[in-house]
Amino acid sequence: MKRLKKLLRLALLFSLVQVVAGDRVDAADPQSVQVTIGTILVSNQNDEFDPKLKSMEKQLRVLKYRSYRLLKDETQTVPWRGDKSFDIPGGRSLTVTPQEFQNNRVSLKVRLTERNKPLLDTTVTVPNKGHFLYLGGPPHEGGTLVLSISAAAQ
Amino acid sequence: MNDCERTQENIGRWFDDELNRAESERIRVHVESCTACRAAQQRMEKIDQALHGVLAAEAAQVEFTSFWRGVERRINERRPWHREWLDRVIGVPRSAWAVPAVIALLLALLSLDSYFPAWRGGVTRSGFAAVNSIDAHGRSVALLRENETKTTVIWLYDDQEGEDETAEEAPKAGPAF
Amino acid sequence: MEPSDWELVQKCQAGEMSAFQELVSRYHQKVYVVILGLLRNREDALEVSQETFFRAFRKIGGFQGQSSFYTWIYRIAVNLAIDAQRRQKRNPLDFRESMDGLLESHDEVARDPFADVHDRELRENLISAINSLTPEHKAVIVLRTIEGLSYKDIGEILGCSEGTVMSRLHYARKKLQDKLSSFL
Repeated sequence: MKRLKKLLRLALLFSLVQVVAGDRVDAADPQSVQVTIGTILVSNQNDEFDPKLKSMEKQLRVLKYRSYRLLKDETQTVPWRGDKSFDIPGGRSLTVTPQEFQNNRVSLKVRLTERNKPLLDTTVTVPNKGHFLYLGGPPHEGGTLVLSISAAAQ
Repeated sequence: MNDCERTQENIGRWFDDELNRAESERIRVHVESCTACRAAQQRMEKIDQALHGVLAAEAAQVEFTSFWRGVERRINERRPWHREWLDRVIGVPRSAWAVPAVIALLLALLSLDSYFPAWRGGVTRSGFAAVNSIDAHGRSVALLRENETKTTVIWLYDDQEGEDETAEEAPKAGPAF
Repeated sequence: MEPSDWELVQKCQAGEMSAFQELVSRYHQKVYVVILGLLRNREDALEVSQETFFRAFRKIGGFQGQSSFYTWIYRIAVNLAIDAQRRQKRNPLDFRESMDGLLESHDEVARDPFADVHDRELRENLISAINSLTPEHKAVIVLRTIEGLSYKDIGEILGCSEGTVMSRLHYARKKLQDKLSSFL
């Protein structure tokens, strides 16, 4: 009986943690979002894999390039429905606007511009503190830029 | 752009006192002599006053003592979650939490793979990134989702010809997926 | 001399409830009026206003004075009001009754009864016009009109640039003027 009580209490604790971790939080609760943009140069010019990109190697290898180099990594705190811009090489800019936080996922409006002309507008939902979204294609220095986008609601 | 057009464009900022002194003075002088712009200013004033009249007077109706009681009640009612949880677990008779406990056990068993990912051999983080809408402004775009690594990629193609011809190894059509 | 907001915040952080009470006393009407401008009725506005201060109480330990207290509290208030607005599922009849309630309390005896009728019609249609704006446009017009906040402060509260505040205000005013043209 004692063992059963212990097991049941453990089970309650597990499920409580699960509920808290996956619970919908009012958009008003997290006050801002930390958005991290990684600027990665991919190409077939040589065979190198930047050790700084180790944590996302599996995902990046999906693109089947030979060379992957991290050019820069930037994190900014963005208030809800506010926007912040990240400078991207080649006269480009990525503007991110957090929209909503629901089911532990962050909705973002993302705009990529080049010399102030819009290249891409997209709305995405990323897991909070989870997998990155990748946005690739702009050419740069003989290769192509890939931007990794992740968000952590605070 | 003539004087009236320039004034109409900035009349809101002038009305809100958000212009520099020189521009503010220019608009003031123009509004005094222009019927149309003066009418625009008056319309703005009227809306402002009407809104102010409806809402600002409401402020006086909110009596502090009862307002504070409402705030205090919220503060006092919401004890730390762990105290509420303890009271509930200890206070309720054993038989009353047997059923929810069984449900909780089932939930815990079903969610074990989140804590022990080796069970599934999958990645430690869960959840794909989802793309809800894309506007590539006339360019070609591709969307890739790879299940095993839970990777989501938006690929914007450089549709414009003649660009970047210096790159010998520049990929012609993007990544090999 | 009256303590500043920041001094009161520091006292709250040290556990003095009376300091928090003083802050509520200073801002409860301002917060209420802004929320009332965003929501449709007094009851909801009162609920959300009290919730705003409750949330502020919970988070005051983390307030570091990087913005002023009033922009911080307005930010919480506006976010809660916008969320409440999106959840509101009142039917048009309920809204109309609430709106009439707002107007009745301001019945003043005017010297010119026709002016009074005209003003009343303007106010009645104004509420309807305001409610046709998106939450973001409503927020800028209410913060500017009721509180007279600068574009910079409004931008801080809403988390957007001054340019965005300016263009939203311009749009909101134009839309209101178009809808109320026969009353202006």
